[in-house]
Amino acid sequence: MSRVVEVPASFDDRSFEQFAASFSAGPVTDRMVFDARPAQWASPFGLVGMLTAGQAIKEAGGARPDFTVPAADEVRRYWARTGFFQHAAEFFDLHGKVPRLKPDEQSDVLLDVTPVRASEDVHAVVGKLQAGAARILTHELGIDAKATMGFAMALSEACQNIVEHAGTGGWVAVHAYTFRRRLGRRVVVIAVSDAGVGFRRSLEVTQARRFGDRWGDGAALEAAVIQNVSRFRDPGRGQGIAGIKRYLGRWNGKLSIRSGTARIAIVPEWDDDVPMTEHLAPFPGAQLQIVIPAQESTGG
Amino acid sequence: MTQTIRVDQLLREAVQGPYCDLVTRSTGRAVRTSIQQRLASRPGSLALIDFSEVGLVDFSCADEVIAKLLLDPPTETIIVLQGLREEQLEAIEHVLEHHALAALVHDAASGAARMVGRVSPDLRTAFFTLQRTGPASVQALADRIGWAADRAEAALLALVRLRLARTGSEGFVVPLAPEPLSP
Repeated sequence: MSRVVEVPASFDDRSFEQFAASFSAGPVTDRMVFDARPAQWASPFGLVGMLTAGQAIKEAGGARPDFTVPAADEVRRYWARTGFFQHAAEFFDLHGKVPRLKPDEQSDVLLDVTPVRASEDVHAVVGKLQAGAARILTHELGIDAKATMGFAMALSEACQNIVEHAGTGGWVAVHAYTFRRRLGRRVVVIAVSDAGVGFRRSLEVTQARRFGDRWGDGAALEAAVIQNVSRFRDPGRGQGIAGIKRYLGRWNGKLSIRSGTARIAIVPEWDDDVPMTEHLAPFPGAQLQIVIPAQESTGG
Repeated sequence: MTQTIRVDQLLREAVQGPYCDLVTRSTGRAVRTSIQQRLASRPGSLALIDFSEVGLVDFSCADEVIAKLLLDPPTETIIVLQGLREEQLEAIEHVLEHHALAALVHDAASGAARMVGRVSPDLRTAFFTLQRTGPASVQALADRIGWAADRAEAALLALVRLRLARTGSEGFVVPLAPEPLSP
């Protein structure tokens, strides 16, 4: 019998914890069915998170899982426009009607779901975003045209974490949407996820001794995000996340990274998230989210 | 002898694709290696590293190209960065600060070089004085600024060590200096 992994009806970085708990309720090699029928909406974080789960099952040699697509037609169409189903078919047996749509260049999808496996993928992602994102970033979010470079830079550094540290491939997606519940304004969201070794294993050799008994997923995230530590001894390393934080500071943005059983966040004043959460349900690899809100003067 | 190295050309060779963005460490390593090879094969007094056809420069790539080039220059050549836009320069300044390094940037408006990165007030004063008043010996610079000779010497030697100035027949000199002001 298959174990059911529930896909939250509204799937963002917060409801991701329901998904992670459901996913990790048994061994990754269990026969599983991902039930997305009740889904009404998914952020890019949710979409790349589902692909990461599928990738982790495949890489662990688990049985190919089933995936029931959302019941709502408009949700299916949106997920199709993001490129989700195209990549999901690599890991899941899809059940239900999957629309065949091309990505819509005028939609809020700044970057459809895109695999990141190597340095060339980062070049492609950055080029593609710059070509299409200026309209949304400048006109909808009120971000200075020059600062779109900074946005692309943050995206580049986020994607490079996969190439440099994950030990396997990952996914990136960038969408704009209205963040009604917490902010009441338009936001643009970068979501990056991989099924790799995670921050704790990546940093263990160089950092575990320094943290002693405190060492774990939370300490590893603290080392990487707060102390800008890298697994490489090269003194130039660790500047990627530092650069992302610098950019977010200027645009009042938010960074959160989940790895293993912990999650760290750099929280702006408009959000009520907590800086560190530990003892979460385990989930493979690392998941990073960057949120840039519309600047106040634009009204969003 | 001055040579100009166009980063966009080296970038295209490195990524073998249509990309104009200087992103990722592996790309940075490839571009830096090409720059080092050019500098080694054509040693000269001044190299202009031209970014004018480059798009985005991210922090990791700036670290690999600029910081590591300045930390391990292959020759005595003074390196000046040119054609940089504000947002590119921001990433480069970030990595220079991280490594406590300084670099010279060609200012298109004035035609002169200016220092970016971590530079002490004494180095800044010595550099500006050489730039404004022309080449000088240790004692001449000390006299111009009103410093003790050992302070001027320390600043000048630091400028040379950081490849922000060089020694010539007329004394210490900074690159791309405009005509000195009349005394």
